[in-house]
Amino acid sequence: MRKFFTVLATLATLSLTNCGYNAIQTNDEQVKANWSEVVNQYQRRADLVPNLVNSVKGFAQQEQTVLIGVTQARAKVGSIQATPEVLNDPAAFQKFTQAQGELTSALQRLLVVTENYPQLKSDALFKDLMSQLEGTENRITVARNRYIKSVQDYNVTIRTFPTNLTAMTFGYKEKPNFQVANEKEISTAPKVDFNVSPTPAPAATAK
Amino acid sequence: MSAISRAKVFLLALFLCWAPAAFAEVAVPPLVGRVVDTTGTLSASDVAAQSQRLLDFQRRKGSQIAVLIVPTTAPETIEQYSLRAAETWKIGRKRIDDGALLVIAKNDHRLRIEVGYGLEGALTDVTARRIIDEVIVPRFKAGDFTGGVGAGLARMIGVVDGEPLPSPQPEASHGPDVDWNALSSFGLFSIFGALFVGGFLRALLGSLVGSAAAGGVVAVIVWFVAGSLVAAVVLGGLAFVVVLIADLFPTARPSGRGRYSDSSSSGWGGGGGGWSSGSSSSSSSDSGGGGGSFGGGGASGSW
Repeated sequence: MRKFFTVLATLATLSLTNCGYNAIQTNDEQVKANWSEVVNQYQRRADLVPNLVNSVKGFAQQEQTVLIGVTQARAKVGSIQATPEVLNDPAAFQKFTQAQGELTSALQRLLVVTENYPQLKSDALFKDLMSQLEGTENRITVARNRYIKSVQDYNVTIRTFPTNLTAMTFGYKEKPNFQVANEKEISTAPKVDFNVSPTPAPAATAK
Repeated sequence: MSAISRAKVFLLALFLCWAPAAFAEVAVPPLVGRVVDTTGTLSASDVAAQSQRLLDFQRRKGSQIAVLIVPTTAPETIEQYSLRAAETWKIGRKRIDDGALLVIAKNDHRLRIEVGYGLEGALTDVTARRIIDEVIVPRFKAGDFTGGVGAGLARMIGVVDGEPLPSPQPEASHGPDVDWNALSSFGLFSIFGALFVGGFLRALLGSLVGSAAAGGVVAVIVWFVAGSLVAAVVLGGLAFVVVLIADLFPTARPSGRGRYSDSSSSGWGGGGGGWSSGSSSSSSSDSGGGGGSFGGGGASGSW
């Protein structure tokens, strides 16, 4: 009898660890932590935008449309709540990433415009803001990568046997991952044509 | 490299192995010292001098700074490569994360200062860019790599010096996570305990099942204490074997310490935190710093 209980206890322990409940919890927390870091870094970028817009405004007053575009994208980003619950709602997740993507492209347009203002580019404040923006964009990339990896771990745990049974029992769903918005654009090779432009292009800064 | 040939390489890599991208990337060299130069740009005496300076700084302040000079980081950008190097090396003290890494891709004419989480307040993106643009790049443009690295490090040290950081302690308090140094002593203790418990269990349940039960008990205890299933399984299995053959070798005693003796002499673990995360997890390489983590802070530049 004693032997039987020993075997039973061992089997119970083994099945508890094998069914992966703890693994799902660990991965879930990891995903949440990495998501918080993503939101954190996006917030950091959003906080930089007003200063950036102001510093550009001082030199490039006439670029109204671009500046307004950035401000609007910034306002839209600020209006979306990015709580961890977003992760369980693919539609909300989509909305969040889309708003951030719009801010990204608005900022890129702004940076293209600033190329035309040498005075602005040599301004100390603008330079500092630019390095902060670059650093933040890099942090966003890192945070997104880590989020992608943790979601991958989580989804693999949830979808592989036998932990998928545990996940089904407790109702854990796959978490959404970042999508590449312009997949089609990326997959076509960029065209480089030197003959078309009628005016000589501004000399590329060959450093 | 054209898109098609790159795709071919990628496909080939896919077929060849389970880690498709691993082949294309430039490997991070092992952390042999504080200044790792794979290009031979700096002379041996310069490397020694800068290493000594960084070691002195670490002894004084606790913060770890390292230099990595590689020919190129292609196909990755320097940001991706330097973060990978920083994650591999884990410089900086654990949980203080006060590491910084100066990466120079000589043929790409790119450089980057990668800053650990704990130093992002002192060595901000702006400060890092100013060090690059105003201190290092002018010297690199003139071909003075030794001077550029030296002056850059001097500025980095100066900036970090102004930051109040926990003073370097020879023995930091052990946290709740898996710590193999603590475990090895605990493991020895538990093995002896297992011998006693195992004696009873063996008498009750017989040789094989009793040993297995003793192993299971040790595994569960270790699992709770260390929170690591791997450690639990290893030590549980060890206890099983020890209890099983205890008759044959009455003085048998596993030694769990041998693997740490060589690592402590190099000085990287001296700042506290030690090698715990680097040496226990199988995913990371043998070489590692104190266990600091990075989040992509810092700045890049070119010359």
